[in-house]
Amino acid sequence: MIEEIVILVVSFAILLVLNVPIAICIGVSSFLTVLAIGNVESCYIIAQRIAGGVESFPLLAIPFFIIAGNLMGEGGMARRLIDFASALVGWCKGGLGYVNVLTCMMFGAISGSAAAAVSSIGGFMIPEMNRQGYDKAFNVAITSTAATTGLLIPPSNVMIVYAVVAGSVSVADLFMAGVLPGILAGICLMIASGIICRLRGYGGAQSTSMARIGKTFVQAIPSLLLIVIVLGFILGGVCSATEASAISVAYSLFLAVVLYREVKPKDLPKIMLSSAKTTAVVMLLVGCSTAMSWVMARENIPQNVSSALLSLSDNKIVILLIINLVLLIVGMFMDMTPAVLIFTPIFLPVVTAMGVDPIHFGIILIANLCIGLCTPPVGTCMFIGCGIGKVSIAQALPSMIPFFVALFVSLIAITYTPWLSLWLPSVVRAMGQ
Amino acid sequence: MNILKLLFGLRHILVKLLEWSAIIIMATLVFVVLWGVFTRYCLGNQDERTDELATTLIMWASMLGASVAYAEKGHLGVDYFVGKLDPAAQRINEIAVHLIVALFAAVVLIYGGYLLASRTFAAEQMLQALKIKAGYKYIVIPFSGCFMVLFAFEHILELLTGKKNGEAAQ
Repeated sequence: MIEEIVILVVSFAILLVLNVPIAICIGVSSFLTVLAIGNVESCYIIAQRIAGGVESFPLLAIPFFIIAGNLMGEGGMARRLIDFASALVGWCKGGLGYVNVLTCMMFGAISGSAAAAVSSIGGFMIPEMNRQGYDKAFNVAITSTAATTGLLIPPSNVMIVYAVVAGSVSVADLFMAGVLPGILAGICLMIASGIICRLRGYGGAQSTSMARIGKTFVQAIPSLLLIVIVLGFILGGVCSATEASAISVAYSLFLAVVLYREVKPKDLPKIMLSSAKTTAVVMLLVGCSTAMSWVMARENIPQNVSSALLSLSDNKIVILLIINLVLLIVGMFMDMTPAVLIFTPIFLPVVTAMGVDPIHFGIILIANLCIGLCTPPVGTCMFIGCGIGKVSIAQALPSMIPFFVALFVSLIAITYTPWLSLWLPSVVRAMGQ
Repeated sequence: MNILKLLFGLRHILVKLLEWSAIIIMATLVFVVLWGVFTRYCLGNQDERTDELATTLIMWASMLGASVAYAEKGHLGVDYFVGKLDPAAQRINEIAVHLIVALFAAVVLIYGGYLLASRTFAAEQMLQALKIKAGYKYIVIPFSGCFMVLFAFEHILELLTGKKNGEAAQ
């Protein structure tokens, strides 16, 4: 059993360093491990597990949120949200920092994807902030980190993935549980940004008026309505999360093509194609991660990790801290979806045994892995942000540190204050009865 | 060099074909799931084919899309460590990566996928509502594997000859 684990971990690490596509790293190392176990048909088993991961109906929400996110990015929703946010908070000192965080929270929530938020919001906000004299690296750092808050605020792709692996967790509960933690993470980032802007003297005062707030709000309503529609349908029991995500595609298509008219029908194949490619990359990751997680279960890795952790300590606070530290390291090397697929089955039994609610743990897991989206060597959000802002990763890294601290503080708060996650779902459930 | 040109031209056509298949499948997928909701709420009972059709389509879209994404080097990797090597070593490394992908595609996707599809056919497993054999869902896996192997060799050829396929084809 030890040998198999060594094979799994070492082959994965080597392939990762060689710059093999991550899905393939996961697939190959799982395959080699099954090969080492012997007496099973390794080729067939891995193919079957990959297929099993891809053909899940709940995970169909992933492609739909990707399509909706792309439509929104091209469809002029980002600009309207920015206008609204700048009317609301743009008048403060260092206002564009707040505008950036607020818009990322809204857009990330609507599109359910952090990568879409960085590219759409960053595409507008980073050049604008550069023009107004904010430091380039600072702009990249704030956009990349703020975009991840949208994963905690519903609707959110990765929560559906967690709900699928965790089994007994309802997507509706998870969505509601993410609201307050997501807002908290946003506030922490705003505080960090405010302090830096004040120290460096960024941003002059712009004026605003109630009339402007009102006008931009009206323009942003159709975009924001998407959150209400998706959540309303899911919470109201009208349809499943997958179906709601398909409805969000139809709605954002309507907004982009009919209402805002920023996407022409002839652009649609291009948008569909880029969505199909992103979907395929994610689904291959999902498939291969499902295979890896099957290999781990077969090797009893979850049970072993669980007993090893419990032998270290039986204190809930300590165990959660250790798990958080492990996940932070995992997040540096793995993208969010495979990390959720692979590590949920390992850690969930440990924490539920200690009385942590699976919904609360899902939020901790996601809040934690959000930080990993902004750290090298694998940090999708940071890479996209650096690409847009035209700064190197090494240049951006020092500016990221205050925002990492902010996200870490919010993570600790989310971890040790269960009601932050559990209060809202309980209220909604009580209302439903 | 003419053979190379022909090869890259063929690849160009193949990628276009795969791209359009992916576009059409994605659009159908959205329509199918919305149709499921529509029939449930507006016509009283859900068209029971939608769930099976949707999971079949996502399988096809994912597998075909994965090969397109690979043709265009769209899969995420960690280029941090490799970036520190000198250009000659980077080229060797890149060739090694494409070989690994080709091996994985051949062993797991083509052979494993073939076993999966053929056994599902042999077991006469059906997609009940669609009334078609379940094997059709999986048959895309070995195909996608073939495309990946093809694209892998094409990437390697490109590295060895120093030609960019995009330029040769257009």
